[in-house]
Amino acid sequence: MVAKDTKFKDALKVIENVQASGRKILFPDEAMDVIKSSGISTPAYTLVKTVHEASVETKSMGFPVVLKIVSPDVLHKSDVGGVVIGVENEKEVERNYAEIMNNLFKKVPDADIMGILVEKQMPKTTEVIVGGIRDEQFGPTVMFGLGGIFVELFKDVVFRIAPVTETEALEMIKEIKGYSVLNGYRGAERLDIQQLARTVVTISELISDIGEIKEVELNPLLVYTEGVTAIDARIIIK
Amino acid sequence: MTLEKFFNPKSVAVIGATEDPKNITSTIITNLIEMGFAGKLVPVNPHHDEVFGLKCYPSLPDIKEQIDLAVISIHSDYVPEVLEQQAGCGIKNAIIISGGFAELGGKGVELEERIKNICRDKDIRLIGPNCIGVLDNYSNFSTSFLPWTKVKRPEKGNLGILSQSGSYVVSMMDMLSLEGIGVSKVVSYGNRADVGESELIEYLTDDELTHVIGIYMESVDDGRRFINASSNCSRSKHIVALKAGRHDSGIEAAKSHTGAIAGRYEIYKAAFRKSGIVEVNGLEEFMDACKVLLMQKPAKGNKVLVLTNGGGFGVSVSDMCSDTGLDVAHTPASIREALSEKFPEYFILKNPIDMTGSSGDEDYGIAMKSALVDNDFFDAAIIIPLMPPPTMTEGVAGIISQMAKESGKPVVICMVSGIYTEKIKAKFEEKGLPVFPSPERCVKAMSVLVERGRMNGC
Repeated sequence: MVAKDTKFKDALKVIENVQASGRKILFPDEAMDVIKSSGISTPAYTLVKTVHEASVETKSMGFPVVLKIVSPDVLHKSDVGGVVIGVENEKEVERNYAEIMNNLFKKVPDADIMGILVEKQMPKTTEVIVGGIRDEQFGPTVMFGLGGIFVELFKDVVFRIAPVTETEALEMIKEIKGYSVLNGYRGAERLDIQQLARTVVTISELISDIGEIKEVELNPLLVYTEGVTAIDARIIIK
Repeated sequence: MTLEKFFNPKSVAVIGATEDPKNITSTIITNLIEMGFAGKLVPVNPHHDEVFGLKCYPSLPDIKEQIDLAVISIHSDYVPEVLEQQAGCGIKNAIIISGGFAELGGKGVELEERIKNICRDKDIRLIGPNCIGVLDNYSNFSTSFLPWTKVKRPEKGNLGILSQSGSYVVSMMDMLSLEGIGVSKVVSYGNRADVGESELIEYLTDDELTHVIGIYMESVDDGRRFINASSNCSRSKHIVALKAGRHDSGIEAAKSHTGAIAGRYEIYKAAFRKSGIVEVNGLEEFMDACKVLLMQKPAKGNKVLVLTNGGGFGVSVSDMCSDTGLDVAHTPASIREALSEKFPEYFILKNPIDMTGSSGDEDYGIAMKSALVDNDFFDAAIIIPLMPPPTMTEGVAGIISQMAKESGKPVVICMVSGIYTEKIKAKFEEKGLPVFPSPERCVKAMSVLVERGRMNGC
């Protein structure tokens, strides 16, 4: 089933390892590995297993950082108090590390815990979602929409059959009702729509090339005036 | 493998043939006789020697000559046996009209599996079950079990219709007849146990008499094949799709937002888009889109001239154009200058061009010559001739269609139906200009031409 000439060789390797372990959902760090190796920009991140490791790693990546629980028993991390943002120094790292573990112990006592993903926190900007699902009838598809309430409340999203070209990706971006949010609404600077379109293309190619992927999602993908950064990714395999 | 024998069979066996008017098989036969079907019609029924004056055979093996197609409308329980028999006689095609299969669930599903297996093993191609079957308007062949006195057979034309629903094709045929839209082939394939829309699209792609294909679909037979077949077809023909059952729940057990949002319908939209298919909402839009694509060519851009002698209609058409993404762009100075020399100053020349109630037939010619023929600013035109003023005569149809032809641009007519205007409508349509009875429908039809022009291909 695997396309042999895929340009996503490293991503494929990560996915094959997950498959070998019998899991269907990639851990956040694995999903980020797939995204990063596909050429999509991510913040610095690493998986740590102890408070000490957390201190060392965060010091080298610089503050502020985000801490996220990594557990096969937790799908929605924030629902169980498994995410802390805006961690500004070493002391806070230690305190929040303990707190996340404590939350997990209370809310999901039997959870297997792989560790905590520490991630360099990125400046706030407009958030979008880029995703892909493999439809049982039409095959790989790619989706684009604005993040937050735009997707949840208004379902302001657009789908295409994957893969798409950069021109098609630009059409998708312009098709959503909230397009002006990206295009310099009320004097704001126009965001990097070109790089966003390239990211949509990459996701569409990733799901087209790697038949093992059932769903992939960058949520959110941060869009700046220059460049885009995926700060969370979810990948589900067959 | 061609589907030709389903549409143009040289010999057809009708299983369960009878003259009993309560039995649908009798209507299938009388319809065919009435249509003047030129192929050989062979009734099969052990209880009769003759049906409607045709020699009736007890069973398929009793027929000596080669049969191209078996039409089966007997109780579903007996269908597998008939299929086995026809396989033994080397009859390679069957249309099963009967219901009582997968649509019932449970045992019906098993029965359908059985007939599928027989067809696969014995190399029989199948349309149906649970369907109306086909109408080929040129070979005068049909398996419809509804009398043509109640469902008017459409004229010969260039529209092909494919439908999962039998009731839809029947209603469409009736409406198309009334609207004067001609049809080439119609297929209702029901449960789609074998032949489905993807293969039919492939087949109709090479059918010279079919220029536009209209599809009513609830689901797809094979997504990727459908996209390939439609993409290929829409390079030379137009496809219009009406998708029903849009509110199916999202992808089952999806774990991401993308999956949860992806109702089946969103994916269908994406597939239509990829395939160059024009998607429409509802029966009326379906008919209008097919009609406009049969009669006019796609627009090269979205700049639309609106020309009328009735101000209010000009305004409401403009409103709807803007809502639909059509650009009712200001008339460029060069056109305004040319027209101001020929028109009184109370004609309004910005777009819409409103020639007021005092204008007549010739003014339409003058306006179209300057704004559409001599100048390429506008890509298309919506013309709204209001017929009541005495200066307006049925001659306007000839003038407008002449100018439309000279411009080489798509033109549609908006004219509200009345007893008198129905006659004028016929004049326009004789000359190839489609008439729509309201601003909404007219603008929607124009937007179909613009959308189609924007797609790759045609």
